[in-house]
Amino acid sequence: MATATRNRGQNQEVQRTRPTVRPVSSIWQDDGTVKLMIELPGVSRDSVDVRVENDTLTIRGEREIPEDAQFVIRERRLAPYERTYTLDDSIDRENIEAHMEHGVLTLTLHLRDAVKPRKIQIQGG
Amino acid sequence: MARDLMNRRSDMTWQPSTELRRLQDEINSLFNFEGWDFAPGLFDRNMAPALDMVENADDFTVTVDLPGVNEKDVDLSVAENVLTIKGEKKGQTEDGDGNFFRKESWEGSFQRTVSLPQSVDADNVKAHMKDGVLTVTLPKREDAKPRKISVDVK
Repeated sequence: MATATRNRGQNQEVQRTRPTVRPVSSIWQDDGTVKLMIELPGVSRDSVDVRVENDTLTIRGEREIPEDAQFVIRERRLAPYERTYTLDDSIDRENIEAHMEHGVLTLTLHLRDAVKPRKIQIQGG
Repeated sequence: MARDLMNRRSDMTWQPSTELRRLQDEINSLFNFEGWDFAPGLFDRNMAPALDMVENADDFTVTVDLPGVNEKDVDLSVAENVLTIKGEKKGQTEDGDGNFFRKESWEGSFQRTVSLPQSVDADNVKAHMKDGVLTVTLPKREDAKPRKISVDVK
């Protein structure tokens, strides 16, 4: 699956598709925020990369991959983690909290003030 | 239409190769789905996490991905040459009000039993958890290790 696309002489980076593992995630709504929990076993806090670019949220994680090991059983798929999500307009891109514990990354995505329901006071006599 | 495409090409922001690459990535990602790594058998009550076993010169190392599992909730036992790993993966999502958009992770009890290729020193088994990965080191027994016998040829 390793294919390289040739640079066409423009300002485009040479990108390679390499095997990655798509980690499992859960997304739920919690008290006016959206929580995104993503399982990245083997990834430490320093080797996780969370990025927001326009409408895409990309999560990447590097893990240690043993080489030259004599495997008796090999069931885990070891490759860097990568997963992308598309954010809609209601998510505040500037206000994303991240927390990592036991190989699980939890992101708290806040909603933009503009989309929060507002209570309108009714005036009258 | 043709002119439209030409214009798009000329401003160098859109390229067919980019679209192709994106399509390729998307197709690749379909084969990358990792949701079944922990799938139990048809009649199993527990989840069976995937594991790796590596043989080293002096020991066996068993590695299991257990994201979100606390070390206190893991129970290890070695009997003869059978290693049993069991425990409980607590739901981290319980505080949510059930308003899930997507739920791919599992929670509940898990159990996995593997037989080791040779007998191990059960008293000196070491285990530690880091970043959601359990590593168990099982030293080989002295009497089971292949011994080098030097023969003097005269």
